[in-house]
Amino acid sequence: MSLTTSIRLARRELRGSFSSFRIFMACLALGVAAIAAIGSVRTAIENSLIDQGAVILGGDAEIDFTYRFANEDEREWIDNIAIKVSEIADFQSMAIVERSEGTERSLTQVKAVDSSYPLIGKVKLLPNILLGDALGNQGGLPGAVMDPALIDRLGLKIGDTFRLATQDFILSAALEHEPDKAGDGFTLGPRTIVMRTSLEKVKLLTPGTLFSSKYRMIFANGFNIVNIETETKKRFQNSGLRWRDFRNGAPGVTKFVDRLGTFLVLLSLAGLAVGGVGISAAVRAYLVSKTSVIAILRTLGAERSIIFQTYFIQIGVFALLGTTIGLILGAILPITLAPFLEASLPVQAQFKLYPAPLLEAALYGLLTAFIFTLWPLSRTENVRPANLFREELISTPILPAARYLVWIAIGVITVISLSGLLSGAWKMTFWTTGSIALILGILTAAAVGIRWLAGTTAAQIKGFPALRWALAAIAGSQEGATSVVISLGLGLSVLSVVGQVDGNLRNAISTNLPEIAPSYFLVDIQPNQIEDYTKRLKENPAVKRLDTAPMLRGVITKINNTPAREVAGSHWVTSGDRGVTYAHKPPQMTQVTKGEWWPENYEGPPQISFAAEEAAEIGLKLGDTLTINILGRDITGTITSFRDVDFSTAEIGFILTMNPTALNGAPHTYISTIYAEESSEIQILQEISTEYPNVTAIRVKEAINRVKDILTSIVKAISYGAGATLLTGFLVLIGAAAVGTQARIYEAAILKTLGAKRYQILLSFSIRAAMLGLGAGIIALLVGIIGGWAVSTFMMETDYSIIWTSAFAVIAGGVIATLGAGLIFIWRQLSARPARVLRDRE
Amino acid sequence: MPNLAISLKNAALSLNGNAGLVDILHSVSIDIVKGETVGLVGPSGSGKSSLLMIMAGLEETTGGSITVLGLDLTKMNENALAHFRSQNMGVVFQSFNLIPTMTALENVATALEIAGVRNAHDRARAELQAVGLKHRLHHYPNQLSGGEQQRVAIARALVNRPAILLADEPTGNLDGTNSEAIMDLLFTLRDRHETTLVLVTHAPELAARCDRTIQLADGRVLSEEAIPA
Repeated sequence: MSLTTSIRLARRELRGSFSSFRIFMACLALGVAAIAAIGSVRTAIENSLIDQGAVILGGDAEIDFTYRFANEDEREWIDNIAIKVSEIADFQSMAIVERSEGTERSLTQVKAVDSSYPLIGKVKLLPNILLGDALGNQGGLPGAVMDPALIDRLGLKIGDTFRLATQDFILSAALEHEPDKAGDGFTLGPRTIVMRTSLEKVKLLTPGTLFSSKYRMIFANGFNIVNIETETKKRFQNSGLRWRDFRNGAPGVTKFVDRLGTFLVLLSLAGLAVGGVGISAAVRAYLVSKTSVIAILRTLGAERSIIFQTYFIQIGVFALLGTTIGLILGAILPITLAPFLEASLPVQAQFKLYPAPLLEAALYGLLTAFIFTLWPLSRTENVRPANLFREELISTPILPAARYLVWIAIGVITVISLSGLLSGAWKMTFWTTGSIALILGILTAAAVGIRWLAGTTAAQIKGFPALRWALAAIAGSQEGATSVVISLGLGLSVLSVVGQVDGNLRNAISTNLPEIAPSYFLVDIQPNQIEDYTKRLKENPAVKRLDTAPMLRGVITKINNTPAREVAGSHWVTSGDRGVTYAHKPPQMTQVTKGEWWPENYEGPPQISFAAEEAAEIGLKLGDTLTINILGRDITGTITSFRDVDFSTAEIGFILTMNPTALNGAPHTYISTIYAEESSEIQILQEISTEYPNVTAIRVKEAINRVKDILTSIVKAISYGAGATLLTGFLVLIGAAAVGTQARIYEAAILKTLGAKRYQILLSFSIRAAMLGLGAGIIALLVGIIGGWAVSTFMMETDYSIIWTSAFAVIAGGVIATLGAGLIFIWRQLSARPARVLRDRE
Repeated sequence: MPNLAISLKNAALSLNGNAGLVDILHSVSIDIVKGETVGLVGPSGSGKSSLLMIMAGLEETTGGSITVLGLDLTKMNENALAHFRSQNMGVVFQSFNLIPTMTALENVATALEIAGVRNAHDRARAELQAVGLKHRLHHYPNQLSGGEQQRVAIARALVNRPAILLADEPTGNLDGTNSEAIMDLLFTLRDRHETTLVLVTHAPELAARCDRTIQLADGRVLSEEAIPA
């Protein structure tokens, strides 16, 4: 019965209340739209990755090996299980173009294919010719196709000649579309495709060379992928074989999209939390305006539950409306922006209406509305009929009744659980929500501090009335300071942390790293070249330092005779093949932290020196044994020392070093780093590529730029997320300014009555807004500096220094936002006639 | 005494405000019999409205007891008081206190709906017709004159046929003509429904129509005076 009455009352109360809920709905709609849009984009990409899994992978499944091709057993198995197989070799090389005016060189990622490539999907070339024709012989030379970016870089035209190692090729077409590009993951150089047979003469793919072989397979109809995978892995468990199939054709992309998507959804949840401040303020303001109605209903005998339900239903209707608007926006935006989004995505996404992310966004929206509405709504309980004739003598408790607090807590836990459950990234969810809660706590405390400071300062100021009024107003209004600092502070804090982390990371990789990093990183130096190579470069006066090391690749299969994964879990060191080297003595600048390095001419059982930090993470100790599979052969050694390995300097560093005799006979190549003056880099590269055409040189600066490009995209995405939070904060500010307009008009009327001039009032209101914005900006900056320092020091392990440009932008952003929101209503506040305002008040 | 409608024994009211504890009523004892019409008079701030509110259970006393229709209001919780009010009491205010988002009909029907009455709209319509507002059923409060608003308020207060009607300066916001009309209406309906009527008033002509007046000053009963019929 009471619910029916409440529904009826709510329906009546809805009349004319729309305008009171505009900010409420805008905050909710914006937050929901952001989450829905991010979720829709993520789903579009993920669906595309699933739907086109086989195309992205280039087959139903792929088996790959590092450093070698499949041996006879493995190849026989592959031919057995598949009805169609394509063998591909993937490696880095230097594309060289000789011209009379000079030689152009560029790093390229070569895909050496067979005639079956691609098993699924189509390669698109410009001019539009068949891949087989493009890679076939063209007047005695094999053909090749190249990424248009590489063609530009090398200044090539179709029909020109270029060289890979010692083999010349004719560029027969530009590679417009490579169907399996997303599945290939991160590459340092743009793609070149050639026939594998065309490389046979040049010995680019001998055992020990850095390359990976891929066997793409198509199975007969009705195949059971799980069984095939299990059987294959069981049969070749310690061979270093890696398996991928159509279910997740591009695991790297999937993981990246999933993680970034999750983070952005969490960031949008922060936006919703900021919107929650606006929601709460709007509900509070609305219910204050409804105090007399509530008191009347109480007088008429309405029980608390009727009142609560009435406004709960009414606010629920607006929450549904706001959420619906948000869902419509969030669903339409990605579809409308599809052409722009597709250009910056690694795969072709299918932008359409996806119910699941919309449902997720709706749930978050409604839960946020519930959490932030309940507190002010609980206050309806405190409205007594006596409010009708005696408002000033009734003091209300600060906290709502315990049952409301319990419901609020349940709401918060549900949001966090939902987020963790839907993303599967519990750790990230806890960290992000924990950080948001911490920032909100800091901001709330800061708001109290700002009010106290304003009150104390106002008492000291004499002779500058506008400033004193502003400070007194900040000190006297709990709502103003708190809502401004929280609503603006959270968005600014996120931007501030992003700005500080991004700036420091950029400093580390573009300023600090090049100072200590080598100029070139060289791979595939053959054993018969190493002596001559070392001698030649050491004699070159431009070379300041030269490091070389033998390089093999191996998989740690067992730790103390127990499968490595059981001991180390999913630690990166045991989750794939790693570089392995050997050395008579510890490399220069390396410090053995524990144990003893083997004697110089040691010939006993295999010994291992392991990277100290990673050993500690896995829980390895001296005396433990490791079994390493190198090119199909198991070698078991004992860990006899730990040493520091610093990967941040880009110098040669190996997790695993063994004594030389342990790796006797294993085919291998050498890697090398060259430290040289920047001005001599080109000359050194020319010399190397002329003398050792099979060697691939990776210019560290180019690699850094490639990493920086990716970093820029991530920072951009995060900044957009934080921007949405900031926009919500701005909406909340406008809401707060709108709610405070009547009070400001009254204040202005009194000040005018007392003789204050319009400019003084304008100045005072502006100072108030600017100071609150400044306060929010400073707090956000502090949060940014602490967050930036923590992330840089503990996660990135880089030096930290304050990024002042970002710092000033954050503070200026705070001031501009509050001033802007305040100025929207200033004219109405200043132009009201005092007599009318004061008479109306009576 | 079974004939008593309202009985206050040493009722006191103190409220906690921003300026500290304020004593509003001091040990007030009053008995009002069923069907009686009592006028509460006195200067502003003497505690008339507060006294009316504690009689309605709208304000909790801080001392003494209040028995209404044989039930001790001080022993009831908020919801029990609300239920008791919806069944037994009607309250009319000086400032009408109609719900602005509801039409006249809905304002009256709301009282019936809260009391759990089924055909609320029909009865509300009849009640508004009885106060002469048949033509104003679907008007909102801001579309009605002061006198009309107070008629709606009276209809709302009486629609549940309460045993007790409490009115806080019901003519305070009205001009002379409207005041007289409202007074007539109030007393006519009181007579028709044999309701106990307690009203706060500054108007001597309204006080004169009561059976008895109680003079208050500084939260205390100063005198009681029976009005000759």
